[in-house]
Amino acid sequence: MAKGYKYAYYPGCVAQGSAREVEDAMQGLARVLNIELVAMTGAACCGAGIMKQANWKLQAAINARTFAQAEAEGLDVMTPCASCQGNMHEDLVKLQSDAALREEINEVLERVSGNRFEGTLQMRHLLQILVEDIGLDVIAEKVVNPIDFPIGGYYGAPMQREGACGDDDPFEPSYFEQLIEVLGGKAVRYAGRTQSVGFPSLLSEEESALKMTAAVLSDAKQEGAKILATACPLSHVNLDTYQVKAGKVAGVDTSIPVIHLPELVAWALGCDKNRLAQLRTRVMVIGD
Amino acid sequence: MSVVTKVWIDEGCIVCDACETTCPEVFEVTEDTCLIKDGVNPNDFSEDIIEAADGCPVDVIIYEIAGAEDDSGEGEVPAEVEPEAAPEQVAPVAAAGVAGATAAPAGVMAAGEGEDELAAVMNGDRSLHVLFGSQSGNSEVLAATVSKKSADYGLECQIHDMDGFDLASMASMKRILIICSTWGEGDMPDNAEDLWQAANADGAPNLSGTHFSVLALGDTSYEFYCQSGIEWDTRLGELGSTRITDRVDCDVDYDVPAAAWMSEAMAAIACVDDTGTFHADLVEQMKSKAAGDTSAAGAGVAAIVVLPEIQVTVSIFRYDAQTGAAGQDTWACAIPGHHSVLDLLRTLKATQDGSLTFRDGADSDPSTGLMVNGRLVLPGMARISDCVRVDGMLRVEPLAAYEVIRDLVVDLSTYQNMRASSEPWFVGREREGVNTEQAVMGVMDASVATTLHASNDISSQSLLHASSDTVQVNPDYIGPAVVGQLWNRACDPRLSDKAGKRILTTLCGINGIKAEADMASVSRQGRIGTIGAGNLLEAKNAVLGEESFSGRHGKHVWWFTWTVKSSGLLNETILAMQTMGPLGMMKNLPQMVRMSAGFTRTGGPIMRDKQSYLAAFGIPASIGKLPPLVNSSVDNHHEVVALFNAFDKRF
Repeated sequence: MAKGYKYAYYPGCVAQGSAREVEDAMQGLARVLNIELVAMTGAACCGAGIMKQANWKLQAAINARTFAQAEAEGLDVMTPCASCQGNMHEDLVKLQSDAALREEINEVLERVSGNRFEGTLQMRHLLQILVEDIGLDVIAEKVVNPIDFPIGGYYGAPMQREGACGDDDPFEPSYFEQLIEVLGGKAVRYAGRTQSVGFPSLLSEEESALKMTAAVLSDAKQEGAKILATACPLSHVNLDTYQVKAGKVAGVDTSIPVIHLPELVAWALGCDKNRLAQLRTRVMVIGD
Repeated sequence: MSVVTKVWIDEGCIVCDACETTCPEVFEVTEDTCLIKDGVNPNDFSEDIIEAADGCPVDVIIYEIAGAEDDSGEGEVPAEVEPEAAPEQVAPVAAAGVAGATAAPAGVMAAGEGEDELAAVMNGDRSLHVLFGSQSGNSEVLAATVSKKSADYGLECQIHDMDGFDLASMASMKRILIICSTWGEGDMPDNAEDLWQAANADGAPNLSGTHFSVLALGDTSYEFYCQSGIEWDTRLGELGSTRITDRVDCDVDYDVPAAAWMSEAMAAIACVDDTGTFHADLVEQMKSKAAGDTSAAGAGVAAIVVLPEIQVTVSIFRYDAQTGAAGQDTWACAIPGHHSVLDLLRTLKATQDGSLTFRDGADSDPSTGLMVNGRLVLPGMARISDCVRVDGMLRVEPLAAYEVIRDLVVDLSTYQNMRASSEPWFVGREREGVNTEQAVMGVMDASVATTLHASNDISSQSLLHASSDTVQVNPDYIGPAVVGQLWNRACDPRLSDKAGKRILTTLCGINGIKAEADMASVSRQGRIGTIGAGNLLEAKNAVLGEESFSGRHGKHVWWFTWTVKSSGLLNETILAMQTMGPLGMMKNLPQMVRMSAGFTRTGGPIMRDKQSYLAAFGIPASIGKLPPLVNSSVDNHHEVVALFNAFDKRF
């Protein structure tokens, strides 16, 4: 029997809300790759870089509770969301390095839940787990529907910092590109792949967010990408749902299909053939 | 009576055994040369040594006597020996004669001679080589500390990463310190493994001319405590190197023993002179000198971690404002990994293209900032090895937030004007002084002063300004650097109320902190990014609190946080409705319809699972992808509420 992997699964709020296709794809790829996703039904929202604008200590306390739940299971936390990864990793490091803060939060946490956060777990993104744990060679063996297009991977800014993106280079990352090649695509490197699309301010500072979104989309297109795959379901809202508006605001061509990283992997592994067929039709027949 | 302080053998020994016959306590004749015996203190046998030197048929026994260093011709040194030239002519074999000499009695010199002797020892080659084997970085940090202290001992330190280090070069080094951690079950750290294999191979060099000491890092909870350090200590001895002080083994709390080791080992190894001879009698004086010499103390010397040459493909942005031509120039070159990006640019300009334009200056010049492979750096402070991509590519570009003047030179006035117009001037309040011994003066609480200093400890404000992705799309945004400086002023208790109010008004304005679309783009840019993003966050906390979470920005944060309290999860529907309001929802109708109908432009699962025809659990929600109007709560939701009540009762 193939070696199995087990993680405390933190899908993030958007994957449970407006981007449920992420959840579909996650379950599919986990099944094929023999990954056990242990549901964290008690985990709360990570704050998405927004809650800390009200009170960073409150956000750290909420995330400490989530970490404590995973620690109780003896598992590392895995998320398919780059914003969750960046945000929670930041709080994890803060809690691990500041004993006074940890103790202050643990006192309350222990009182309300009986749990304590000890700082023994790791916060991991799906992309890191696919490359570092599962292995690209294993994934390559399981590809049944190569997605043979020029594909740009979008990492986003939140998790592209030292320590939060595994062993990948935060500024010149290559995990996504390596994965795309393994899945049968042609990886398109473009400068905007680690830039922010301004998701935390989409509803409050819309014009800036849309211009940032348009810059990323336009850059990927100019470098030859036919599809964009994103490691962040939150950024997907900007890149996909607000794509047309972003193009109009910035005055650039932004039209390009945008899918989620878990979809890219799951479809290549043979899941949800209909969605893959739709994508092929969009790229090959409809075009931009 | 003459006191011999040093003795060594020059080249050309004919192994006649005459010296060993005269003074067997000092001289040992082997098959091809003569050696000075280990642990010998020459002044104990001064007369015999001089007699042996006189009797040597080829005059290869050379010695020095106390007070005769300037060759005054007092007759104590054989006429044919030229003491001044001797250190350069001889191989440092005499070093072998002092192994274990740390236990030798100190103070063997006549009073008053010590300072001259110490000065003599500190002439000539003073190189110290520190090799670190590190898995988590602790050994590297300690190596850097040694480097900083080295000037106190008159040493010129070079740090070497064991990874890629050429073992053969060790034979020519007089002074070597090893700092090595242990990994796993007694394993070498990854960066030390290759060097360790080389040290144990057949071709390992003879290190008889070298002196060394080892600091071993480990963890007593493991069976093979400090095993890597132990092995290096043993192996260097086997290769002929002379142990200058005993190895020190450190547990996880290594600060104190490591400091003690540095004090002993650095003082001892600093007493190895230009010829490779160890002067045990000067160690205590060296310690005193290091402790009392404040000229270099604290100033430190930049650590130079010597790294092997690496092959680099350099791609540099070029732009000519006169013609409007822009593009990339690419060069392939080999350059030592420890060289800075600025070194590389200077070399290219000097040897390849004199028209290459970039801001030159001191390593820490804040106006020299560039983007190298996506990192914002001061090129004089950025090592090639830290920036180069795995495939050897090094992309050098101007800072994206500014207009390019030529090639890599940008117009920093964008930031400077923004700063000037924000009026971050300090206008102090009237306050009572404190009567101190010096004078009546204003004082500040130390912790406040420390916090203020830390939040403004930015190596380059113009670099920090460029870290925000928002700056590139919103030219009116004052940027993270100006926000940080204003916030720093606002937190200063000496600031007048009027000035504080003016600063807060600027921060609250539409081009103030609220214009920053994503702090994540700032916080990922290393140390300045972390400090800059910390300032942004504190300023945003204060501004939103000041405005009681009103306006679009305030509502956005308020309702996001409120929905998390209410169920444990974000409710996107409520957040969008409350933040945008009915008018905003109408303006974004296409986006709202797309989200609620459940399809993406990629061809998402339209009317997902036909949920639109269902009334899920009695709630008219889940239409397509539309998130529910009312979330299901997470398990043990009361815990989330309790945390809110404990840390922020406003929600």
